[in-house]
Amino acid sequence: MSGQPALTTGHFTFDGQSIPLRDWQSLAAALTEAGLRSFRQTAKGATRGIFCGMGVCQDCLVTIDGVPNRRACMTPASAGQVVQTQVAFPELVTAAVPPPAAPARVITPDVLIVGGGAGGLSAAIAARKAGASVVILDERKVGGGQYFKQSAATSPLDPQQAAGAALLAEAEASGAERLGQVEIWGAFDGLLFLAEHKGAALVARPRVAIIATGAYERPDLRPGWTLPGVMTTGAAQTLWRSYRTLPGRRVAIVGSGPLNLQVGRELAEGGAEVVLIAERGPAPWLRPLASAALALAGPGLVWTGLRTMLALRKRGVPIHYATSLDRIDKDGEALRVTVNGPGGATSVVADAVLMNAGFEPQNEILRLLGARSAYDPAFGHLRVERDESCATSVPGLYAVGDCAGLGGAPAALAEGRIAGRAAAAALGLGDAHDVFADQRSLAKARRFQRQLWKLHDVKPRLPKVPDDTLICRCEEITAGQIRSGLDERPGHAGTLKRATRVGMGRCQGRYCGPVAARLVAAETGTPIDDRSYFAPRVPIKPVAISAILAAEEALKDAL
Amino acid sequence: MRSDVLVIGGGITGMMAALHLSEVGARVRIVDAGENSGTWANAGSLHVQMQSRFMRLYPDQVPAVEASLPLYKAAAEEWVRLDGLYGPFELMRKGGLMLAESAEQLAFLEAKARREEARGLTVDLLDRGALNRVAPWLGPQIVGAELCHDEGKLNPLIANARLMAELARRDVPVLRDRIVDIEASGTHARAIGRHATYEADQILVASAWGAGEMVRGLGVAIPTKAEPLHMNITEAAAVSIGHLIQHAERSITLKQLGQGQIVIGGGWPARDRGRDCPPEVLASSLLGNVALAARLVPQIGGLRVIRTWAGMNTTADGASTIGRLPDAPRVVMALPGDAGYTLGPLVARMAAAVVSGGSAEADLSRFAPARFAA
Ligand SMILES: Cc1cc2nc3c(=O)[nH]c(=O)nc-3n(C[C@H](O)[C@H](O)[C@H](O)COP(=O)(O)OP(=O)(O)OC[C@H]3O[C@@H](n4cnc5c(N)ncnc54)[C@H](O)[C@@H]3O)c2cc1C
Ligand SMILES: Cc1cc2nc3c(=O)[nH]c(=O)nc-3n(C[C@H](O)[C@H](O)[C@H](O)COP(=O)(O)OP(=O)(O)OC[C@H]3O[C@@H](n4cnc5c(N)ncnc54)[C@H](O)[C@@H]3O)c2cc1C
Ligand code: FES
Repeated sequence: MSGQPALTTGHFTFDGQSIPLRDWQSLAAALTEAGLRSFRQTAKGATRGIFCGMGVCQDCLVTIDGVPNRRACMTPASAGQVVQTQVAFPELVTAAVPPPAAPARVITPDVLIVGGGAGGLSAAIAARKAGASVVILDERKVGGGQYFKQSAATSPLDPQQAAGAALLAEAEASGAERLGQVEIWGAFDGLLFLAEHKGAALVARPRVAIIATGAYERPDLRPGWTLPGVMTTGAAQTLWRSYRTLPGRRVAIVGSGPLNLQVGRELAEGGAEVVLIAERGPAPWLRPLASAALALAGPGLVWTGLRTMLALRKRGVPIHYATSLDRIDKDGEALRVTVNGPGGATSVVADAVLMNAGFEPQNEILRLLGARSAYDPAFGHLRVERDESCATSVPGLYAVGDCAGLGGAPAALAEGRIAGRAAAAALGLGDAHDVFADQRSLAKARRFQRQLWKLHDVKPRLPKVPDDTLICRCEEITAGQIRSGLDERPGHAGTLKRATRVGMGRCQGRYCGPVAARLVAAETGTPIDDRSYFAPRVPIKPVAISAILAAEEALKDAL
Repeated sequence: MRSDVLVIGGGITGMMAALHLSEVGARVRIVDAGENSGTWANAGSLHVQMQSRFMRLYPDQVPAVEASLPLYKAAAEEWVRLDGLYGPFELMRKGGLMLAESAEQLAFLEAKARREEARGLTVDLLDRGALNRVAPWLGPQIVGAELCHDEGKLNPLIANARLMAELARRDVPVLRDRIVDIEASGTHARAIGRHATYEADQILVASAWGAGEMVRGLGVAIPTKAEPLHMNITEAAAVSIGHLIQHAERSITLKQLGQGQIVIGGGWPARDRGRDCPPEVLASSLLGNVALAARLVPQIGGLRVIRTWAGMNTTADGASTIGRLPDAPRVVMALPGDAGYTLGPLVARMAAAVVSGGSAEADLSRFAPARFAA
């Protein structure tokens, strides 16, 4: 294995306990490595910890140096920090108020790119090559997005990370400016973007914008899914790939899709004991036609998949097909996972349970700006309408990669090249290019994706769960409360929200929103479309009032 | 389709009117377009003292508001009564502080307080020392405040949900339709909707911004206007702000809900996108409104805003409109006017009394629709 993790470089305290950290680790990674799983308390007295690992769920909140409600997964650990369990109701009068933030920075690039993953980076390179000035904004400190996410402290772990490092280097060499730790929280007509950058405000007024915000993971919404130690598969992947931290010693993985298998392999090779992978879809050898179609659509990628399967077998990782999660319960310090498969129910004990049952596009910015989209029943999520140049229905607004609907990294790369060039051309920059090669590779990547997902089972389900199962993590709204809310006023997800508070919490309904939309559609017998979901609202992620103050200072005469 | 009373509009006014009418045995139905109800977007402040924002924006309407002050006080008390009957709505009545940042503003508040006292409100003027005892977390630039003890706050989502449940318990139907016209010349009144026509002995109009247009053919020109307004809410903190906070000169309301979130509003504008779609949030309102709040109460600077939204308020001439249309006596208006959530239940009770022919508790002539006779 290339690149040994750096040694301990300092300590911070968590509720008074001294915790070692390694340079560049996130707080969440350092806490996980120390065996700590509960980061915050909820209003109803439950505890929560890292869940999404990517800044979306808002369940990893801690108090840092007296400032409440900071996300441990997005905050770098540093020596001397005083970190505390986040209480549900921090004291207002004694809370540390962040000092007046630095003055806001205002940027006006030709092309603004939101999201620095596969799609965003390739769009940046293309737009830059055509002569446009380009700024890429990304919320993460570690570059590359999901597929290409880099290791924070060591050299690339494998070819996937090496390819990402090369892409990042190419973007850098192209002269595109890349800013990390920038969280976009607002998007307004006329292409005005508001963001928070390390506590200060950043304001972007580009001529055109390319949105490349990727996807987040759909959980397997079953009893116990909010327990500390239960996290998304991608969260565990980030812990390992970026921070060289295992999510736990014994790991169980549930849901459906290739990511579960890939991460199972990565963790097993990293030293974890993968006690179970439960895949909802049937075994591939029972679907020979679909498997063969996949092999035809993308021989190279299928080869990677086969290597993963062999590696899992070599390490004796049990994979149960046609098997789905029933429930997760606390078992002493560990978790007991019960799954249902062809042979009936089985239980295993693990320290961490990882779940991925599909993806949801991060389309908040696109929907806020009014880009039209349509429901894709095969994936159970919205797809943003785009023309062949990846332009949305909103003038000057392009969408590439998974944020427009799941497509995978190769498609994101091709779309980025297409959109980057088209965006520059719309500004009168660059030469006319032969886009056929990109269109061809895009078509191929899309064909492969379609075949790939036929082997898995990510069709979202209506939650058939007991009444006391939480549907809304943030507001702690149960399935039973939602069912009685549906009985009263089914009309629309928004009505259900006001009646039950489902989706009113910090994560903005990222996890319960799609469920609410499906439940209301089922109840009213109406098909799902983009109006079935909660209306998009600013801020798309919670934003510090201190950052709002700074943005107001910068813009008060301009708006 | 016949019923004794058809209520048009299912916001707080329509809901409460229907409750009162069902209580006295009327067969009542609500028909509501389900669009842009202020009731489902409002902030739950129980306003009693004159709002400086309003005085500045609509100086011509100030006399009407001033004359209505006793009504506002009674309206807050009506909410306390409802809280006892159908609550709890997280109702708190610790009073409202209107802040001054300069001697001139304090002088303005002093004069205002005198006028309000004359109308029966319980008000105090607090200097900074007195303010420190009740609200030590205010910014250092605040020199004093007017405290109106009659004011309060509640959680409108809880109140609305409970009142909806009460209507359901009484089997009051709520129909989804948009009324485009009212005919009231014959032996009964007819409301013509997009989907159906509804007949009733009487119609109670509680359709806020939709009311003026609806009754234009009936001899009155009521200048109801849709006013899109902006709101913000933060994540929760331990409850330590008991008062409703406002400012002597600037547009702001700030308060903390029983569940700890801080609600910031006060009439910043949003962009109207038509009736069938909620108004759009403007960056300038979000930034300006929250920044102002953070200057007045710096301690909220450590919290995060988790959501903003915009909703449709309704303005007319500053006073409520309650009573029968002179040319169409089967049609009774119930329009609360400014701070309509505060006023809604009381206005509904008064209008329901008109419908059921009971003797009105108050003299309604000041509110009569006749003032808008075309
Ligand atoms: C958790 C996770 C793990 C995955 N792992 C794999 C894998 O191992 N193998 C595989 O084949 N596919 C994987 N995928 C699928 C993968 O998303 C795509 O194949 C590919 O990464 C898509 O590229 P993209 O550019 O569309 O988005 P991404 O690579 O996801 O990049 C999006 C970027 O946008 C940033 N961003 C999002 N919202 C904001 C905001 N509001 N403000 C600022 N920045 C923002 C994010 O931080 C991120 O860096 C994974 C997906 C997820 C969600
Ligand atoms: C953001 C915001 C914050 C506010 N904050 C406060 C506050 O803190 N305190 C306070 O006292 N007030 C506040 N208000 C004002 C208050 O919300 C309203 O004045 C009040 O809710 C009005 O109640 P209503 O029942 O009369 O009308 P609404 O709640 O507006 O209901 C009117 C109903 O009539 C329906 N309708 C309209 N036209 C038709 C038609 N043609 N056919 C059928 N139905 C129709 C509409 O769909 C709507 O449902 C606020 C308003 C807004 C927008
Ligand atoms: S784990 Fe940090 S936001 Fe989800």
